[in-house]
Amino acid sequence: MQAAEARRRQCWRCGAETAGALACPRCAVVQPLAAGTDLFAVLGLPRGLAVDAADLERRWHEASRAVHPDRHQTAGAREQELSLAASAAVNRAYRTLRDPIALGRYWLELHGARLGEDNNQVSPALAAEVFEAQEKLAELRAGAAVGDEVRALRDDLAARLAAMREELVARYAGADASLPDLKRRLSEIAYLTTLLGDVETSLGAA
Amino acid sequence: MERIVGIDLGTTNSLVAVLEDAGPRVLPDPDTGAVLLPSAVAFLDDGSVVVGERARSLTAERPLDTVLSVKRFMGLGAEHVTAEDRRRYRIVEGREGPVRFAVGGRELTPPEISAYILRELKRWAEAAFGEPVTKAVVTVPAYFNDSQRQATKDAGRLAGLEVLRLVNEPTAASLAYGLDKEAEGVVAVYDLGGGTFDVSSLTLRGGVFEVLATNGDTRLGGDDLDDRVAELVLAALPEPVRARPEVRARARAAAERAKRALSTAEQTEIVLDVPGGPPVRHPLGREEFEALVRDVVERTTAPCRQALRDAGLGTADVREVVAVGGSTRVPLVRRHMEALFGRPPLADIDPDQVVALGAGIQAGILSGGRRDMLLLDVVPLSLGIETMGGVFTRLVDRNTTIPVAVKDTFTTAADNQTSVDIHVLQGERELAPDNRSLARFKIPIAPLPAGVPRLEVTFLVDANGILSVTAADLRTGRERSVEVKPSYGLTDEEIERMLEESIDHAEEDVRRRQVEEARVEADVILHATRESFRNHAGMLEPGEGNRIRASLAALDAARATEDYIAIRDAVDALSRETEPFARRIMDTSLQEALGDRRLEEL
Repeated sequence: MQAAEARRRQCWRCGAETAGALACPRCAVVQPLAAGTDLFAVLGLPRGLAVDAADLERRWHEASRAVHPDRHQTAGAREQELSLAASAAVNRAYRTLRDPIALGRYWLELHGARLGEDNNQVSPALAAEVFEAQEKLAELRAGAAVGDEVRALRDDLAARLAAMREELVARYAGADASLPDLKRRLSEIAYLTTLLGDVETSLGAA
Repeated sequence: MERIVGIDLGTTNSLVAVLEDAGPRVLPDPDTGAVLLPSAVAFLDDGSVVVGERARSLTAERPLDTVLSVKRFMGLGAEHVTAEDRRRYRIVEGREGPVRFAVGGRELTPPEISAYILRELKRWAEAAFGEPVTKAVVTVPAYFNDSQRQATKDAGRLAGLEVLRLVNEPTAASLAYGLDKEAEGVVAVYDLGGGTFDVSSLTLRGGVFEVLATNGDTRLGGDDLDDRVAELVLAALPEPVRARPEVRARARAAAERAKRALSTAEQTEIVLDVPGGPPVRHPLGREEFEALVRDVVERTTAPCRQALRDAGLGTADVREVVAVGGSTRVPLVRRHMEALFGRPPLADIDPDQVVALGAGIQAGILSGGRRDMLLLDVVPLSLGIETMGGVFTRLVDRNTTIPVAVKDTFTTAADNQTSVDIHVLQGERELAPDNRSLARFKIPIAPLPAGVPRLEVTFLVDANGILSVTAADLRTGRERSVEVKPSYGLTDEEIERMLEESIDHAEEDVRRRQVEEARVEADVILHATRESFRNHAGMLEPGEGNRIRASLAALDAARATEDYIAIRDAVDALSRETEPFARRIMDTSLQEALGDRRLEEL
C-alpha cells in the first residue's frame, strides 16, 4: 500500500514523478518523507537484518549528497526545512542500521516487541553472575584490594560482549533471528553493557 | 550571485578567505596588505573603537580597555570568569546572562566585542571585491558548546553578517588539506590555537569528509604557554608592581615573543620594560621553556586518545596527522604530536591560515561552487535534560552526525503538576549540575496523577551544531512551541537593541568625524586669513575688510557648534569673500619674485 502511494508521489515543486525518492530527480528539491517511512526505506533498502556495511555507507553518502543542508543553503525556507528533516532522517537511518545492537532494537520495535527496561529475559545463571560481580564492585568501593580481580572482570566482560555482538551479526547474515531469540540476546547484551559501565565507573573512582 | 566569505574568528588572530577558481585565498587588509587581523579590540576615551594591530599595540598602555582573546569568553556567564581574568579586565558583577566587560564607559558582551573584529574583516572583503559582503561561514572550535556557538552566530548578526554555517575548525582544516592532497583514508587533526584545543578524527572518501569523533578543551591554548613564561619574569618583580595590569600585559607580550623565538632558536632573552623602573631581562633556553610548559602540552594527550577511542581507531589506522594553529610551531608540541600518533605531522599549509582557507572552501560548497565535496560533521558534546534526582539524561550522544533529531517521552513525578520544568544541558557527566546549563523552560500540562502525563521532548541539532527544543503534551495532543531562554546567550530582543545601538553609534562615529574634518578645514582658512590681514592689510579695498571680518566672525561661531554642515557653509562663505584679496596677494608676491615683469607677460 505504502509502496504504491510512494510510486504515485509527485514533486511538490515541479510536479515530476519522484517514486518516493528523497529529492526530486528532475529539480533536485528535497521531498517530504512519507508518513511511516521506515529507516530501511529512507536509504532505499528492503526491510531485513542482513545489512552490508559498505553498501550502507555508500547509500548514506549518496543520500547525504542529495539532501544535506549544505546542498540547499541558497534555497527557500521550506526547502531548507525539508533538507534539515531529511538529513536528520538519513543520519538516523545510518546510525541505527550500521550498529547490530541498535538495528536489533529497531527490528523489535518494528515488530511491536519493544525491549523493556526489565531484564526478565535474562537467564537465572547470568543474573546470579551479575549479582556476584556487583558484590565485588561493592568491595572495591569499600576499599578492598580487589582491583586486579575487577580489572580481569572488565576484560572478560569486554571480550564476551564483542563475541555476543559478532554472534548477532552472524545470525543477521543467516537470517535466523526469531523475535524471542533476538529479544533474549539483546537483553543479555544490555544487561552486561550496564555492568561493564558500572565496572569502569568503579575502577575510575578507585 | 553574492559572494560568501569564510572567516576564521580566532582567539589571537582572525582571517577572511574566499574560494576562487584557482583555489581558496586569504584576503588582505586593503591598507597594509596584512592577512592576519589580531583579534584585539581597544576602547578609547573619546568613545572610538580600534581593532587589530593598533588595538594590540595599545595593550600595554590601556590594558583594561583593550580586550585580547575575547573568544575565550564567548557563551560564558560572569560566574565562569577566572580570577586571573578578573585581574585582567573590568568584569561587570551581579548580572545574569552573558559576561559583560566594562570598557570605554560601556558594558559590552563578548558577541558585541567580537562583532568589531568581524566588521573589520567584512571591510577587508568588501575592499577586495568592490561590493558589499553580507554572508559568511564562520569557524568555531569543534569543542564549542551550544552557548558558544550561539554567541558566535550572534556576533555575526551584530556585524551585519548572516552566518550561513558554523564550521568546526579542525574540519575546515581537513577541507583545505583534502582539496590540496586529494587524500583518502583516516586523518587526525590536532588544532592548538591561541586559546582552544581541538582534535578530530575523520575519514576522507570520494569527496565526503566524515568526522568520526572530536574532542578538546576550550580553555587550553598558546595563551597558557605565554602565561607560564610571563609568570617566570613577573616573579622577579615586587608584588605591587607585578599586580599592575599594564605590567602583566607587557609580560605576556614579551613571553609570547620569547616563545616564538624559541621555535627556531635554542636560546633567547625575555625583555620586560617596567614603566618607571629598569627593564627585567631573563635569559630563556629552549630546554627551560619546555620544562615550564610541558604539563600544559601534556593536557592535549587525553583528548587525542579519546578522539581515537570514540572513533574505534588505533594510532596505526591514522594515515595523516595535520598540525593546525600557531602553537603547533612549538617544537615540543610537534614532538608530542609525533609521539601520540606515531608519525610526524603534516604542516604544508601555513597553520595560521589553514582554518580560514577551509572556511573559504566551505563557503564555496554552500554557494554551489564545489558540488564534489561534502562535510558530515558531528555534535561534540552530549545533549540532554535534567531528570528526577538531578540526573543528566542524554538524548543526543556526543559524536553523533549532524543534523540529528531525537524524540523522547517523559512523565511527571508529582500529582497534578500543571507545568514541567525542562532544564537543557550539555556535557559528559552523569549528574546534571556537573554539565553546562544551556537553557531552562516551563511547559504547561494538563494536571494528572504522577506518572500519567506523557511529554514528548524533541531535540533538533542543525548543521551548525546548534540545538533547538520542542515539547508536546501527548495527553492533550497540544504541541507547545518552546520559548528557550538561553542561560548565557543573548535574546532576540537584546540583539535587536544592540543592532540599533550600533547603528546609532556608527552614525555617531561618522558625524563626529565629519565635525572634526570640518573644524580642521575651518582652522586652515581662519589662520590663513588672519595672517593675510596682518601682513597685507594695505591691499584691502574699501569695505572689503569689514565684509571679511564679518565672515571670520561667522565661521568662528559656526566652528564652536557640532554642526558640520554649518561649519562647511561658513568656510565656503569666507573662502568666497577672501578670494579677490587672496588673488591680489598672490599676484603681488609673484611679481615680487619675478622682478618688474607684469604677470600677463608670462
